[in-house]
Amino acid sequence: MKRVTNSPEKNENSSPPVEENRFLTRMFSKLRSLLTNSFARFLATKAGFYLVVVFLSLVLVFFIIESMPGDPVAVMLASGNPPPGADIEALAARMREYFGLDKPILERFFIFFGNFFSWNLGPSYHFYPVQVSTIVLYYLPYTLSLAIPVLLVSFFVGNWVGARAAYMRGKLNETSYFILVFCNQLPPFWLGLVIIFIYILLFHGIPPIGAATLGVIPSLSVSYFFELLAHWILPFLTLLIVYVGAWATGMRSMVTHEMDSGYVRYGEQLGFKKSKLMSYAQRNAILPQFTGLNMVFNGIVGQTLIIEIVFGWPGLGLLLYNAVFNYDYPLIFGCFLVIIVIIVIGNFLIDVLYGFIDPRMRTGRG
Amino acid sequence: MIGLAVLVILILLGTVGPFLLGDPYYMDLSLMGRPPSFAHILGTTSFGEDVFTQLCSAIGNSLVVGLVAGGLGTLIAILVGAVGPYRGGLADKISSLATNLALVLPLIPLFIIIASVVRGLNLVLIGVILAVTSWPWAARSIRSQVLTLKEREFVNLARMSGQNSVQIVVTEVLPNMLAYIMMVFVILTGTSILAESALSMIGVSTTRTITLGYMLYWAQHETTVPFWWNIWWWFIPPGIVLTALLTAIFVIHAGMDEVFNPRLREI
Repeated sequence: MKRVTNSPEKNENSSPPVEENRFLTRMFSKLRSLLTNSFARFLATKAGFYLVVVFLSLVLVFFIIESMPGDPVAVMLASGNPPPGADIEALAARMREYFGLDKPILERFFIFFGNFFSWNLGPSYHFYPVQVSTIVLYYLPYTLSLAIPVLLVSFFVGNWVGARAAYMRGKLNETSYFILVFCNQLPPFWLGLVIIFIYILLFHGIPPIGAATLGVIPSLSVSYFFELLAHWILPFLTLLIVYVGAWATGMRSMVTHEMDSGYVRYGEQLGFKKSKLMSYAQRNAILPQFTGLNMVFNGIVGQTLIIEIVFGWPGLGLLLYNAVFNYDYPLIFGCFLVIIVIIVIGNFLIDVLYGFIDPRMRTGRG
Repeated sequence: MIGLAVLVILILLGTVGPFLLGDPYYMDLSLMGRPPSFAHILGTTSFGEDVFTQLCSAIGNSLVVGLVAGGLGTLIAILVGAVGPYRGGLADKISSLATNLALVLPLIPLFIIIASVVRGLNLVLIGVILAVTSWPWAARSIRSQVLTLKEREFVNLARMSGQNSVQIVVTEVLPNMLAYIMMVFVILTGTSILAESALSMIGVSTTRTITLGYMLYWAQHETTVPFWWNIWWWFIPPGIVLTALLTAIFVIHAGMDEVFNPRLREI
């Protein structure tokens, strides 16, 4: 008897490559069916939709920027230092001609978008000879280094905290809920000020504002990395507190709802272990949380831009803010372009993620 | 209940306070940057203005912005979200496409750009701009509600009795969604107050009328004492009030959700 039952087991053990091969082919067929069914069509329509969003919003922003009152040439001249006896009028006229500001708005629209499709956004007005694309790509990593870790860490930590809060009993439950709601409702920009204030009370020093201490030269060394990290941690914490609150309140109510539902009650009566039931409830509660990912991602990018201004972190928010005050039209446009591309790519990735998590999305049923 | 109490207290402070406490812009230059005392409960700013007086009119003005933006935003959301899907066909397609388009737009950079374009910003204008930019998610949720409501029998009856679709939406569908619309209005008000504070704190919104964000802006930028964090009684209170206001709104919304949702499901 024993031998008979043992033999197939042995067979499997002795041939792991076959098993792996089968696994690979299964994954491959899964992938193929994924791409040929309606999920691929779903993604294609989504991608097309997002391209339309980017284009329309860029057109909108172009016309908004163009209708800005005030004269960028006057601002440029005021910030510069023209040589004594220079003919300001002629200088201004020459600059207008050079930057194409003397043409009618529709003509500029077509010139601008013609250049845009060859990834040529022109030089910035304020940082004159430097191209907008160079500046924007220089500032981009700073924004991403805040927004992406905040999104990921707050999602995991927030859901974990929210589930724990849901299992608490009695008074503790109420208090933890109130604390989470409170964290969620804290305005991040003010929390940033408070965190700087607490930092000063604790350490009696100048708070780490900006990306590095004045005079430190950027380099690829370990000490510079720690310098960056020390300046990165405060804005990161600020955003993290608020968004952990946001995820946790949602997760708490979902888990509470699941713990009340029929299958958990049934499992309880069958004598399942509490931890087993908790893991089931969490598994079911987390799916609706994923649908909030889109909205929260958009919110995090927006709040990151403001937090950057509060902490002087040189990301796109600070760049956009300064560009608006300098009447730097191409730079405003470039900032907005990069921000909306971040948002669109993020949303698209989240849509793909839905497809992998929720099979109804994948098959197009439901 | 606690939420409602907090909200009522704040509204009272915002409406009655300014009448009792006098001019919030009055500068007593002999009292620059004094810490809290009996004469000035929350101390004075570095211009010698009374922080508590400023705080009261800031609450009032922030609430005005929130109500304008919330009300107008709800109206836009109803127009796009309720009438569109009810008509069906092209109107539905256009309205849902517009909602989805606007849902992806990043609001804060857009608002920074718009606010720099519009000159002479006042409270109502800011409210209108916020309403124009913040309606999409509300429209989407109202739309999904309308889609479930329009399949109910009483709507079919109304259609059989010969009412046109605008009449049906106004007399049959919307009254059944009133609770839901109230919730949308409450949330939109809260988010608008938060957004206005964020924007006026970085200095792109109004810098003439006191709002909660305006206080934070000046607390950071105009200090006669070196470093803004030394006058802590200037920037801490607006934030606490803002948090209390938003928490109250959230609690009220959660309470409304508990009360109204079972009824909505039953219909």
